[in-house]
Amino acid sequence: MLSTKFRAVKVERGAGGWGGPLVIEPTEQRDKIVAVTGGDIPEVARKLAEMTGATVVDGFRSPPIESEIAAVVVDCGGTARCGVYPRKRIPTINLTPVGQSGPLAQFITEDIYVSAVKVSNMSYATEADETAAPAATPAPATEAKTEKVTAPEPEQDQGGFLGFITSVGRVMGNVVNVLFNSGRRTIDTVVRNVLPFIAFVAMLIGVINATGVGEALAHVLEPLGSNIIGLLVLSAICGLPFLSPILGPGAVIAQVIGAAIIGPAIGTGVIPAAMALPALFAYNTQVGADFVPVGLALGEAKPSTIKVGVPALLLSRQITGPISVLIAYGASFLL
Amino acid sequence: MLDVLTHAAESFIGVFNQGGAVFVGFVTGILPTLIVLLTAVYALIELIGEHRIQGIARFASKNVILRYSLLPFLAVFFLTNPMAYTFGTFLRERHKPAFYDAAVSLVHPTTGLFPHCNPGELFVWMGVATGITTLAMNGDTSFSVAKLALFYLIVGLIVAVIKGIVTEWLTLFLAKREGVVFEDDEEEIEVTKAA
Repeated sequence: MLSTKFRAVKVERGAGGWGGPLVIEPTEQRDKIVAVTGGDIPEVARKLAEMTGATVVDGFRSPPIESEIAAVVVDCGGTARCGVYPRKRIPTINLTPVGQSGPLAQFITEDIYVSAVKVSNMSYATEADETAAPAATPAPATEAKTEKVTAPEPEQDQGGFLGFITSVGRVMGNVVNVLFNSGRRTIDTVVRNVLPFIAFVAMLIGVINATGVGEALAHVLEPLGSNIIGLLVLSAICGLPFLSPILGPGAVIAQVIGAAIIGPAIGTGVIPAAMALPALFAYNTQVGADFVPVGLALGEAKPSTIKVGVPALLLSRQITGPISVLIAYGASFLL
Repeated sequence: MLDVLTHAAESFIGVFNQGGAVFVGFVTGILPTLIVLLTAVYALIELIGEHRIQGIARFASKNVILRYSLLPFLAVFFLTNPMAYTFGTFLRERHKPAFYDAAVSLVHPTTGLFPHCNPGELFVWMGVATGITTLAMNGDTSFSVAKLALFYLIVGLIVAVIKGIVTEWLTLFLAKREGVVFEDDEEEIEVTKAA
């Protein structure tokens, strides 16, 4: 039997993690462990491939087509990537301790996702575990809609005035339903994504302000932030093709620089207000550079396209980053 | 001795009191409008329906300027980060990397005026915006936050077009050098037919 080539491996959540345990068992068709982490292939992906007998693949350099993927290893901080693969019902192993979060949180479920995984969380599956193996089949597209509240509609055919009243009522009911769902989705987003970030940034700003580190940092950054040459240098650094995928995840770097350093420095006048617009582009040159293969896969790009698209975009940023700072600088005179 | 301890305790809790004040500022300053706006936009998207938006997408993908300005803007506005990138489906393979570049470069410039586009990453914009708000309260700036937000979006759109063109060119260049052929001859015919 060929199947002896592959072994099922149980992956459990690590400390502070969420979801799982998953049983990863590659098949002849699905024999790739894909690391979508930017930089090196993490130890967990290597070890998992070794244990299961699958091949480990760098999702940035040579992404395989989806139907070949046995499992994906990501290191998403919780804004986007961690939901993309669960949405496609591909088993996802997140190295960071992130639970159901991000805009795709509804797709992140315990049977397809496990987080905070370390090498020690993986073991060969016993027979009892294998029955719980998640089938890596594409989810029906309707699944996203299951949360919707749909009131049972009486399907009686009523003519005349009464029928009119009924249809008005039905339309009103639908509209109210849509509005209610929108409200719920909003509160969900605020609680899951916005408030956690506010909490974290507020804590950071509190520490930075109270300890006086903020002022020191602002002064360090002053030569870079207070004139156009400095911002061009900052943009060129953020755009370095080997650095941009590392700076990208969750836009954390950009948010911290913006909210904790440049913003307050503009508020106190250390960095001139005229630099606000070019600065917005300078410290965000790396935007999305960590997400290229996933973003392209969402647009159903073929693996060959992704293969040339990733280096093309990273190189492009090196050129367009400083150009965008210059354009923003020019535009800031019109403010 | 007691004084030293008291002082230490005060400065310890002081750090978090300051953080708490910042937290309250963010919550009262950002959340009320954001929540109402998010609800309105989500409802609008639901009522319009995705298939209608897709019709415009097909049309906009043919012109190079529209392809890297209007199309990514619509994608980001209606589908938000990260689902916006699924709009790439309407494009030829050779344009997909450039479209992604343009779209992802818009997920922050849009947040100044339309925070619903990327609520999880608001602080890329909010950080600088709060700085300008502070100045505006003291009357120290010549422009308002709203004006900066508008300029952020306009410059963002211009930059998206430039990024799209440069990345498209580099994609074609690399594909040629590495002998990669884009696998979409059939799709290409389909798109021209549909249009």
